[in-house]
Amino acid sequence: MSLFKKLAAAALTAAVSLTALSVTAFADEPYTGYNYDWWGDPIPSQNGFVVDKVIDGKDMGLDKLDYSDKSSTMQEQLKNLAEPSDIFIDQKLGKFYITDSKNNRLIITDETFSPEATRVVEELHYGDEFPESRSEIKKTTFKNPQGVYVRTNTDGYTRIYVADYDNNRVVTFNEDLEIVMEYIRPSDKVFEDGKTFNPKKVIVDSAFNVYVIVPSVTQGALQFSEFGLFNSYYGANRVEATAEVIAQQFWKLIYTRDQIIAMRRNVAISISNLDIDSEGFIYTVTESKSADTDILKKLNPAGTNIFINLGYSDYTYGDYATRYYKGTTYSSAITDVDVDSEGNIYLLDFATGRVFQYTDECDLLFIFGTKGFKNSQGTQKGTFRSVSAVETYKGRVYVVDNIKNSITVFRETEFGSIVQKAIKLFNEGLYDEAKEPWEEVLRRDANYWLAYIGLGNAYLNQNDYQTALDYFYRTSRAGYNRAFKSFRIEFIRANFNWMLTIILVIIVGLIVLSYVRKYLKKKKAASKGGSE
Amino acid sequence: MRFDLDLPAWKWPFYVMRHPFEGYDDLRWKKGYNMKVAWVIVAAFFIISVASAQFTGFLFNDTYVKVFNIVPYFSSSVILFLTWVIGNWSLCTLFDGEGTMRNIFCVSAYALVPYLISELIVIIASNFLLRTEGGFITFFRYLGIVWSVVLMISAMKTVHQYSIPKTLVAMFFTVVAMAIILFLAVLLLTLFQQVFVFGYSVYTELMYRFSI
Repeated sequence: MSLFKKLAAAALTAAVSLTALSVTAFADEPYTGYNYDWWGDPIPSQNGFVVDKVIDGKDMGLDKLDYSDKSSTMQEQLKNLAEPSDIFIDQKLGKFYITDSKNNRLIITDETFSPEATRVVEELHYGDEFPESRSEIKKTTFKNPQGVYVRTNTDGYTRIYVADYDNNRVVTFNEDLEIVMEYIRPSDKVFEDGKTFNPKKVIVDSAFNVYVIVPSVTQGALQFSEFGLFNSYYGANRVEATAEVIAQQFWKLIYTRDQIIAMRRNVAISISNLDIDSEGFIYTVTESKSADTDILKKLNPAGTNIFINLGYSDYTYGDYATRYYKGTTYSSAITDVDVDSEGNIYLLDFATGRVFQYTDECDLLFIFGTKGFKNSQGTQKGTFRSVSAVETYKGRVYVVDNIKNSITVFRETEFGSIVQKAIKLFNEGLYDEAKEPWEEVLRRDANYWLAYIGLGNAYLNQNDYQTALDYFYRTSRAGYNRAFKSFRIEFIRANFNWMLTIILVIIVGLIVLSYVRKYLKKKKAASKGGSE
Repeated sequence: MRFDLDLPAWKWPFYVMRHPFEGYDDLRWKKGYNMKVAWVIVAAFFIISVASAQFTGFLFNDTYVKVFNIVPYFSSSVILFLTWVIGNWSLCTLFDGEGTMRNIFCVSAYALVPYLISELIVIIASNFLLRTEGGFITFFRYLGIVWSVVLMISAMKTVHQYSIPKTLVAMFFTVVAMAIILFLAVLLLTLFQQVFVFGYSVYTELMYRFSI
């Protein structure tokens, strides 16, 4: 009996220590990874990304710089980042550009964020072609810069574009800090009178067209040519068909012209951020708690959204449902988008502080990061207070927080790297080779639905339709449809003979039966007629 | 009207289905009402609504069946039907309707037959069809619903001996009456629940008093 007790005690201790171990292993992440199942319910999942480090101004040596010419209050502020609003990473050269908005400066650094690599840009001078270059004031400074974009060609030709919010311009300069071009408020009539030109974000396409987001403009991004001419608006959102809009359409049929003009106008919500991928597609996001349409758009050069009606799925971005908890409604508000070299899409949710990683076909991969609780105020690693920008570089995700004044670096977990490997093989069409990593994914997380789709495709590729159907069941309608099509054809081919026989027998039987009935009726009528 | 009809009770629903306009007149004339047949149809309504959630092919099935609960299906078929009958009866007896509760029950149940048949076809076909062939499914679904609605109008018209406009108005207000009945039922249920909770807490209080 005592032996049994001892064994039991040992087993219990082992169990407790094991659970304690596993708890400590996961305790360093302030968030639990989750994903969505077929019904759109959140289910726990393994983390794809974990916090690597948190960078602030001190790491970059900003506190060591000389600020003696500034006022004492500014000095304190300049020692760290102050409300950084955007980050851009030059994938080829590995250079990082951060707009330090409240400090009115641009910080150029690299992957290490070391003081040696960090360079601070505060002042620009005008190039020769500008009249300012001949005047006495050749210098100019930023005023609340909100967005940054950099284009580097192979011959070392670098152009840095900064959306200089309070200076009402997008300023372009080269590495010698010489201004090459300024994009200012269009004098065109298409730009409404009285509207300010406060550029918030900027990107540049391969033809050096500049796309500028001005928050007050609802017609889309402003597209400028390389030489500063306003071309057109680009990628406007649609007006959402709410009940109010439909009702207004009805009243417009009845109202007079004057009454229509007096009506409240329905305008689309302006786009809030954009990114461009290596193939030249432009992605826009709309930060709105109420809008359901056009949250993320992938636009071709003609400005048409191609993330519409791919397959049968309806796309949902961010968290699926709005949640109501203790008097507050929580709903995703996507504030930034980034596309990495593999084509993965990262959406940054301002409301929850989460990053949503999608494949290039908008299948949800991972959700990571979180907003800090009210009492901790996001001081813990990996929690945020107010996220503003996301970028990726070499498999790491960089998220800027403009209240914590820091940059949080996430790195891929082992689980995440297996998923990425599988997806890479999957996208190359190597379904059979992707089978092994997908199976490994399922061993680690049996709820990971994308793995079922991957395995379904692998079996479909091997013409094993029945297994493919099993994998696609309640994971992918498009996949199930494809597998079922082949399955049905094969089934009919295999069973054609007896199926046709049965059909023929039924048809012949029905014909015979109708003849018999007619005959019986005739006989009955005849016998009735005879008896009367 | 055909006076030579002599159908067994189970054939009447199919007869009125095939003769939407004068079928109910024949039914009324021949007194073909049969409660047993009507109950079978209502039971089939319930079974079909469950089957539609459970056995519709994956490609066409949008129901949330993660946790299967039979109560919603029961209330959205049998209870809804009974509410319709009660609502219609209580309204139409006040407005010169000639139908008794039994008659209303029977003709309403008979009117459901095309809907049930189309649902059955849809459930079976959805297991063999691809998404691109979904047009057939939609077609059969709407066909069944429209047919049943036409039958229901005809049934209400005949059983109460109304004109068409009066039938439509009566049906509209039947729906309103149903909403009121269901509202009152839910209200009553919650009130009784509270009374029960109150009684139960008094009971537990007393038990504590006596046990200590």
